[in-house]
Amino acid sequence: MGSSARKKKEKKKDFQKPKLRVGKTKAKADNFTDTSFKSKSIVVNQQSLSTSAKSSSSQFAHYLSLASSSKSDTQRRDALAYLTTQLSSQPVNEPMPLPTAIILPKLLPLILDGTSSVRSQLLKFLRLLPPSDVGDRAEQSLLYTRAGMTHLAAEIRVDALSILEWLLEVAKDDVVTCPGGWMKTLKSFMTMMGWATSSGSTKWTSASKSSFGKFAFGKAGKAFPRQLLVLAQFLKAGLVEPEDSLPTSEGTATFPICQVGMHMIPTRSNAFAHLNLFGTSRDEDGEMYIDREDRQRVFHKNFRAAVEEGISTAQKEAGEAGRAAAVLSKVVRDGMADYTDIDD
Amino acid sequence: MVRKRVGALEKVDADLPNLQYKIRRDPRSYTEEFLNQYGQYQSQRDIFMASPNTASSSGIISFSNLIDFVAHVSDCFPEDTAEFPEDLKTILTLHHAELESELREKIVGSLVLLRRKEIIDSSNLLNALFPILVATPSKTLRTLLFQKILSDLRTSNAKSINHRLNRTIQTALFNLLTSDRTSSKGIWAVKITRELWKRQIWTDAKAVEIMKEASLADNEKVIGGGVRFFLGGDKEREELEDESSDDEAIDVGKLKHQAGINKKNKKAKRTIEDAVKKVKRNEKKKNQPHPLNFSALHLLHDPQGFAEQLFSKHLHNGKSKLNLDQKLIVLQLVSRLVGLHKLTVITLYSYFIKYLTPRQPQVTSFLASLAQATHSLVPPDALEPLVQKIANEFVSEASASEVASAGLNAIREICVRQPLAMSDTLLQDLVMYRKSKDKGTMMAAKGLLSLYREVGADMLKKRDRGKTATMGIKSGSIKERRFGEEDAGGIEGLELLEQWKADERKRKRAERGLPELGTDEEDNEDDEAEEQAGWDNWDAESDASDDSGGWIAVDSDDEINISDSDDDQPSSKKVKLDTAAKQPETEEEKEKADAVLENKISKLATTKILTPADLAKLQELRLEASMNKAMGKNKTQAQRLKEIADRHADDALTADQIEGFSKLRKSTKEEMIALAREGKGERGEHKSTQALRRAKKDAEGKSTTNKEKARKKNFLMTLGKAKYKQKRSLTQTRRVLKGHIERSKRGGKRGNIGM
Repeated sequence: MGSSARKKKEKKKDFQKPKLRVGKTKAKADNFTDTSFKSKSIVVNQQSLSTSAKSSSSQFAHYLSLASSSKSDTQRRDALAYLTTQLSSQPVNEPMPLPTAIILPKLLPLILDGTSSVRSQLLKFLRLLPPSDVGDRAEQSLLYTRAGMTHLAAEIRVDALSILEWLLEVAKDDVVTCPGGWMKTLKSFMTMMGWATSSGSTKWTSASKSSFGKFAFGKAGKAFPRQLLVLAQFLKAGLVEPEDSLPTSEGTATFPICQVGMHMIPTRSNAFAHLNLFGTSRDEDGEMYIDREDRQRVFHKNFRAAVEEGISTAQKEAGEAGRAAAVLSKVVRDGMADYTDIDD
Repeated sequence: MVRKRVGALEKVDADLPNLQYKIRRDPRSYTEEFLNQYGQYQSQRDIFMASPNTASSSGIISFSNLIDFVAHVSDCFPEDTAEFPEDLKTILTLHHAELESELREKIVGSLVLLRRKEIIDSSNLLNALFPILVATPSKTLRTLLFQKILSDLRTSNAKSINHRLNRTIQTALFNLLTSDRTSSKGIWAVKITRELWKRQIWTDAKAVEIMKEASLADNEKVIGGGVRFFLGGDKEREELEDESSDDEAIDVGKLKHQAGINKKNKKAKRTIEDAVKKVKRNEKKKNQPHPLNFSALHLLHDPQGFAEQLFSKHLHNGKSKLNLDQKLIVLQLVSRLVGLHKLTVITLYSYFIKYLTPRQPQVTSFLASLAQATHSLVPPDALEPLVQKIANEFVSEASASEVASAGLNAIREICVRQPLAMSDTLLQDLVMYRKSKDKGTMMAAKGLLSLYREVGADMLKKRDRGKTATMGIKSGSIKERRFGEEDAGGIEGLELLEQWKADERKRKRAERGLPELGTDEEDNEDDEAEEQAGWDNWDAESDASDDSGGWIAVDSDDEINISDSDDDQPSSKKVKLDTAAKQPETEEEKEKADAVLENKISKLATTKILTPADLAKLQELRLEASMNKAMGKNKTQAQRLKEIADRHADDALTADQIEGFSKLRKSTKEEMIALAREGKGERGEHKSTQALRRAKKDAEGKSTTNKEKARKKNFLMTLGKAKYKQKRSLTQTRRVLKGHIERSKRGGKRGNIGM
């Protein structure tokens, strides 16, 4: 009931006006929240405390790490763009801010990046790298390229083809001779183009290439002729003998000594890699196929039938695909012209 | 050309679960899609293997998703994915330390999935997982692997015991223990073995052998695990079995009743069917012959060697690093082995001497171990100094009462097992403590006294011997037992059977009107007939049970008749039977006859082949006898001695038993409060007992009593009656009172008519 004096007083208290006095601080409101805090240190996230500007190489390294590990795709793309301009605007004879050996492993995973602008920017950047440095890292690059070629997303597959094209431009020999470079890459091509056959399957012909193969639409729809062309390039690199492979005047110039080049210190790094002295043992897929004959043999044994069948169907399609198939068939014919089937 | 939305197609491409579902429905049509994914998996794997620590799981689909996908559909494409399990295994074995935890778990899970799809076999899986379990520094991975290994072992042993797998795993565990005795990795062998022992998956000697090796290891943890297994593993197993059998009880009647009342639908029907099936299965299981599960201690090969090794390695060895607690459990195990298998480890007893002082921490455990290590084949010379020392150190007027009672209890427990360890002066001295003021001491001393009345009455003073013992000594039925003397064994309950047969025969004769005591020939005839019946019965049963074709044609009765016909034997047994059957009238003579019956070993089994009917009867009689014993009918000395000895054979002796009534350590306040609270239930707030009781009844949905109703009744409603009561006339009062009496007789207003 609240009849007692105490309760009456309590009720009244709510409506009493607080008394303000001169010289005293104002009383705190009822719902006052103390927001002050104490901290032992202050961390500034974005600010650099150094007075001098960053050196260009450290700036380069910073953007490199941004490009490789940033979560936002625009940031990745911008960082890559920065790196590209940095590298292109450099004087010709000046060494690179960071060696390729550091740059390449960081940027290669971007082949599988989900954003197309990042991938195209990556290709632009890669084209600026000195070709001589790329050859030694062809195996690593091919790992990611293959992953891209078999990727679920069609756009990534297409862009991975451009990367492979670039690789074939700058380091043709290394691409086809490095461990796994021949066999595994060919296998990736086969799955990508839908020419692969299951090792355990029966004679089950599948016409469903709706999503992956040549009948895809849009940007990926034009992919099939392109795939054929890149495959032709690849096969050409591996199978067709380069015209200038034999120096014209080898025996005559230095007559008493023949084939000097063979006995000199090798110019390429890790010249005995094919012996695989220190690594784990490789299987057929991961083997190095140094000789053209080896590559021909492997191609004949595993892929030739599938490729020729694919070419014949593609030629029937005519149009762009048919023209590309004609190029491919010419390469295959040239490459395998001098091949004699050895029973092995 | 039809326009299609590319975006949607793309989405479908990246949708692995969807693809997985499609592949499972129609593997061959989706071969190409699968090969694409598998190619992607292979390239991702290559990237991963090239740099396991830097490979990130970014991108549209991660490596772990691909692994999951391939594992799920790999049974549809066995040829293409032939190397997939090997890949997973190599990734796991090479990189388990630096793998991302999520990916690691995914790989382990995928391997187990492959095992479930029977793409790889159990031993393959376990051989891959087990080395990682032992080697990995990650705790989460260890728990995961342990759980997976256990569950796999359980599932592969679920239908029938997979002996081959068990053998390989047991060998692997054994090798793990023996290869490096100092490492703590052996603890995993111990854990796995113990768990499987608990669940009765491993019940053989090999598992025990593993634990034996664990107990003989050099690492403290492993030793502890092994020793604890022997001390508690079997109990754990029994408890688990009890638990699992408890929760299976289903009331089918109740379910059927519910189904009759509730809504009738398919689900309810199925529930009942399941319940009935389960009950039937349980019943079948119950009727199956109980699997013989020997305890771990009984399955040991060479317990003598084991006990000696344990003792010399962990206890008697100066370099042993075990602390007191660990030493105590090892000592418990050694003494248990010695007591159970009656081993001879003479040095063990002298080892005890230095620990037998009241100041020794946990001395009661030492005393218990000592008593446990005593058995009838221990030389009394080895024990006598120990008993003497206990008496000197513990039992004196000056020592605390708890100490004295503990000492007395220990001495009694030793002497139960080896009565010859006591000298008569010491005994007479100790028995005097039965006059002690302290209850614990008094009880302990009385226990000792009653023990020696049974086993060595002549060592007591004459007035302490008691009536039965004095009479026994006088009549010569109680004899002093010598060291190493064993009772000649027989078939338990055989004399009962003999007795019963004699009674039966007498009854039959009485039925036929013949005199109670017949001639031998008649008895023989009876016997033959009876036996024939017994065998016939058995033959019928066996014919019904086994269908082994032509074997039935052989007339087995002839053979049996030849082998056990009594005609060519002098019927010496019959004479004895007759003497037993002559039924002396007087009570004294009957007692004597009983004694004779008991003392001589019945010849029934040596002169006659027991028929199956006989064996069944024997079982029945044994059961009856044990019931009688439990009811407390009077027993003979031999029976009582046997009981005392049996009580100690199988169960371990604990320190609590030595401490007896007075614990050395008084209970703490918390313990006392807990003891007082026990069984009082939860008491949230302070209320009267009545209120609490009422609340409990309300919760159970029970009604109030009339008294409570009256108490709760509104005051105003009672007012009129109360006022009226004052104004009643005498007749009215009488009528009311009479009515009340009548109602109470009738049992309420309406009365208990129906009852």
